[in-house]
Amino acid sequence: MTTETPSKATSSTAAPAPRARGRRPDLTPLWLLTPAGLVIVLVTVLPIIYLVYTSFTDYNQRTLFTGEFRYTGFEQYTTLLGSSAFWKSLLRTVLFTAAMVIGSMVIGMGVSHLLTRLRGFWRYTTTVVLIMAWAMPNVASSLVWNWLFQPGYGVVNWGLDQMRVFGDTSSLNWAGDPAHAYTAIWLLIVWQAVPFIALTLNAAEEQVPSEYLEAARLDGAGEFTVYRVITLNFLKPTLLLVTILSVIWDYNVFNQIWLISQGGPGDSTSTLGVFTYKTAFVGFEIGQGAAISVVTTLMLLGLTAFYIRSLLKSGEDL
Amino acid sequence: MSRSRWKANTLAAIFCLVWIFPVYWMINSAFKPRADLLTTTPKFLPTHPTLDNFVTAVTQENFLTNLRNSVIVVAATVVLSIAVGIFAAAALSRFRFAGRRAILVVILAVQMLPGTALLIPMFALFNTANLLGTYYGLILAYLATTLPFSIWVMRGFFVAIPVEIEEAARIDGAGTWRILFSVLFPLVAPGVIATSIFAFIAAWNDYLVAYTFMQDQSHYTLPVWLASFTNPTSGTDYGGQMAASVLFALPVVVFFLIIQRNLVSGMSAGAVKG
Repeated sequence: MTTETPSKATSSTAAPAPRARGRRPDLTPLWLLTPAGLVIVLVTVLPIIYLVYTSFTDYNQRTLFTGEFRYTGFEQYTTLLGSSAFWKSLLRTVLFTAAMVIGSMVIGMGVSHLLTRLRGFWRYTTTVVLIMAWAMPNVASSLVWNWLFQPGYGVVNWGLDQMRVFGDTSSLNWAGDPAHAYTAIWLLIVWQAVPFIALTLNAAEEQVPSEYLEAARLDGAGEFTVYRVITLNFLKPTLLLVTILSVIWDYNVFNQIWLISQGGPGDSTSTLGVFTYKTAFVGFEIGQGAAISVVTTLMLLGLTAFYIRSLLKSGEDL
Repeated sequence: MSRSRWKANTLAAIFCLVWIFPVYWMINSAFKPRADLLTTTPKFLPTHPTLDNFVTAVTQENFLTNLRNSVIVVAATVVLSIAVGIFAAAALSRFRFAGRRAILVVILAVQMLPGTALLIPMFALFNTANLLGTYYGLILAYLATTLPFSIWVMRGFFVAIPVEIEEAARIDGAGTWRILFSVLFPLVAPGVIATSIFAFIAAWNDYLVAYTFMQDQSHYTLPVWLASFTNPTSGTDYGGQMAASVLFALPVVVFFLIIQRNLVSGMSAGAVKG
């Protein structure tokens, strides 16, 4: 990263004030920050405070019309911690996040390494393909997925059918049972997550000094050993950042699940995001939804702190 | 052509075919007439290309209203993010003051909040303030995401400007504000363009907030229109929906290709979630 303005003298003297009056603090940054500060307080800080506040009330559908709600203390939280639906969706979220992160990281690392071996046409083409997949708005890609996996005319069912391995799959309904729904959603998330991971890792992998790699090869190390011992060592900080980001994003996935399975069949693909949304905006139990959001936010806060710490360590200068 | 090069190229070819297939299938389906879409053996090439699906898409009753809603809300979000964010980005990059790091940490942390953490309280607050179903409510909700990352991304561009340029202007007698407007802002113009594109994509792609807040067909934005693209008589019209998806995704893909150099840095602040 570039260094910042090194000293006070160069950048924070406002209109030259007469020396005799002593040094006044420069108020310029304050003026510069005020507009953004006001907006952020209005659209982020206040809502978060209000979120915590409503989680201690019985705010619900009635409240939306009458404006009346009561303070109920920790009741929403005790209800939540005693609800098996919450624990189930938490477990689903953790397991599914792990599956998505592992899948996209492994493939992403492979593609990043493949890119280091490519030159010219294929390198360019692979990069463009990655960007195309990455750029697809997730609403559009979820709809494309529904069409790919459509029972009856979907090309995926046809392809599986041609393999003659799984029997007649032509009318397989992917949203019909949890394992199939998870598979379809997992494929979509991994498909869209790999480009970011592959391109970010590749930017770091191209920086690995070739002398190290050549030296290791001269010592008779195989390609895999060279990768494991040397490349991975250089990639560690980037890998850590990308992994934490992936965990945070995958934990929060909503659109794709909502548009493909609506959290169904039953509640089987209802991860925390879907569970919270249904509680707050289908049942309009706003207070209960707020409590789930507070709990989720607290879980993510630990990860976020870890992310920012790693970012600082990796040389990002604040 | 060495053997290992040949192996890498083959792998790349297989990967590209697999990875581009969903995009290809979207485009291919968009140009096929209905009879060619619903076949038991899929047609891999649009042998009877037609624009019918696109016509169906843009003549849907809510398309123009929803397009207008999208354009207004997205434009306002982008302009406000840049106009408000550029001053904050300048402050956080060219000045040292107490609390600067804390502000940067908050800006990063906001990006990591689960979507519902802001959606729920905003919904309740906007309900009270009668902002549900209005452009203002939607724009405010988008600013919660786009303003912090706009500040973060633009700050990166400011930091890259050498101090010497600033010092030279100061020696020439320019004051702080003059330096800001005549020296620094013109120099971060490319950064402003990249940041605008990030903000555009984030607001253009949003489905959840618009779907929750607008509550009415005529107030929806394009992503919601896209998701509810069904023909009441014959179920989902996949051809029409794929054509609509192509139209909706096109500006985003073009923009992505324009800013690919800045993609990775913008991502670290969660500008475009993978």
